[in-house]
Amino acid sequence: MSDSIINIEHLNKTFEVDKTKMEILRDINLKISPGEFVTIVGHSGCGKSTLLKIICGLVSYEDGKVERSGKAVSGPGPSCGMVFQEHRLLPWLKIKDNISFGLKLSKEEKDKRVGHYLEMVGLKDFANSYPAQLSGGMSQRAAIARGLANNPEILLLDEPFGALDALTRIQMQKEILSIQEKEGTTMVLVTHDIDEAIYLGDRIVVMSARPGEIKDIIKTDRYASRRRNSPEFANYRKKIYDYFFEDVQDYEIEYNI
Amino acid sequence: MNTNLRKVLNGIAIPVVVVILWWYVTTFGSIPEGILPNLPKVGATFKEMIASGQLFSDLGISISRVLKGYGLAVTIGITLGSLIGMFRPVRELFLPMLTVIRQIPIIAWIPLIILWAGIGEASKVIIIVLAAFFPILVNTESGISGTPGGFLEVAKLYGLSPWKTFVKVYLPHALPSILVGLRLGLGVSWMAVVAAELIAAASGVGYRMSNARSMMRSDIVIVCMIVIGLVGVLMDRLIGFGFGKLTPWKKHEAKR
Repeated sequence: MSDSIINIEHLNKTFEVDKTKMEILRDINLKISPGEFVTIVGHSGCGKSTLLKIICGLVSYEDGKVERSGKAVSGPGPSCGMVFQEHRLLPWLKIKDNISFGLKLSKEEKDKRVGHYLEMVGLKDFANSYPAQLSGGMSQRAAIARGLANNPEILLLDEPFGALDALTRIQMQKEILSIQEKEGTTMVLVTHDIDEAIYLGDRIVVMSARPGEIKDIIKTDRYASRRRNSPEFANYRKKIYDYFFEDVQDYEIEYNI
Repeated sequence: MNTNLRKVLNGIAIPVVVVILWWYVTTFGSIPEGILPNLPKVGATFKEMIASGQLFSDLGISISRVLKGYGLAVTIGITLGSLIGMFRPVRELFLPMLTVIRQIPIIAWIPLIILWAGIGEASKVIIIVLAAFFPILVNTESGISGTPGGFLEVAKLYGLSPWKTFVKVYLPHALPSILVGLRLGLGVSWMAVVAAELIAAASGVGYRMSNARSMMRSDIVIVCMIVIGLVGVLMDRLIGFGFGKLTPWKKHEAKR
């Protein structure tokens, strides 16, 4: 497949912590097509955030191949945006200036771009507010708008809804889906929330922990997986649960909460 | 009672008692005027010093020394503090040395500075620079080096140059801390200039006091002390005034 927008082959990554080598990622192989929504699910500390940072060029890699749009990744670039778990809005910039952060455009174009994305994430009235004046969900919306404002081909989301309450999270999941459909951006979202991974992902990458390895890639039926009470949804959920709790028999109790 | 009024009354209660005691001992006691003058005498001297223009010319000289020394200290302190905060090699090169130098009280520098620079303008300015430099440096450094890595990662993600990263991320993050340093620095500048003038000078408020002491003019000494205190408060207020405007996002954070 040469038309994949992200292409990872035999990627290994080790970190040195206190002079001992820690294997973070082992033999990762993943191809992602343009416009696809891929979710990566795994325990915290399984290296999934590192994988995202390698894709966008924030973390270097030595062993393996990582390409964006056919070119080996050598550093961050405007074609690849990222949204972090903490919103990371700069407290000293107004929301509109946070969203236009790093944009190399004329003032009018900037304003137009910022206005468009503020409208999209429902923060039109907060352009001149400071991040401290926004709630958690609103801040994360602003962070998503910042990620999109560069018109990236790829948007990487590192547990973007992890710090939000359950109701806001479900709302945000809906919104990110509709944004993805509207903009056609390729999205890769990392999460430890299995339902979130199913609901959002066209494909779900299941990762094991220490070292992070891909256990399975599950292709979902887009229509069925968007209905949380469909039988298919329950099947995907059971399948993923089995990967994480192979030895646990009574997991039903847990996932019926 | 109105809380503002209570605050003001509480604030002036002890000074009022001190002034009453002062009045009492100088009126009914037998302390020589050269040691402790009475209140009317100090008031008269104050008026006389203002009328003759002597007070303002002394103050002008001292304040202009402060401005020169403080200006230099601000420039060097913020620059070096930022470099130390951002770059590890610079930190390793400077910080241990500066930490040792910091322990030397400013008064202990004065003999050496007089030997090297005499008792002219240069020695005053050098003393002020030395005094104001450290609080500015230390606060700048701590603000810059405390910049969260997450913000720096965002800057890296958007491909900001090192200079842009400094201006857009490090500097605004450090600004509240730098302002604290600037405020402390101005306070010690003012104290340092008076100390330097007391020890060796031919002009300025400190010189006036030292000169008055040798002529047993305790009234002039007291007038100068009061003025030094008032000017210090005024400087602190002036510099504190603009701070809120420079960091408008802070007032929202405080509410959380």
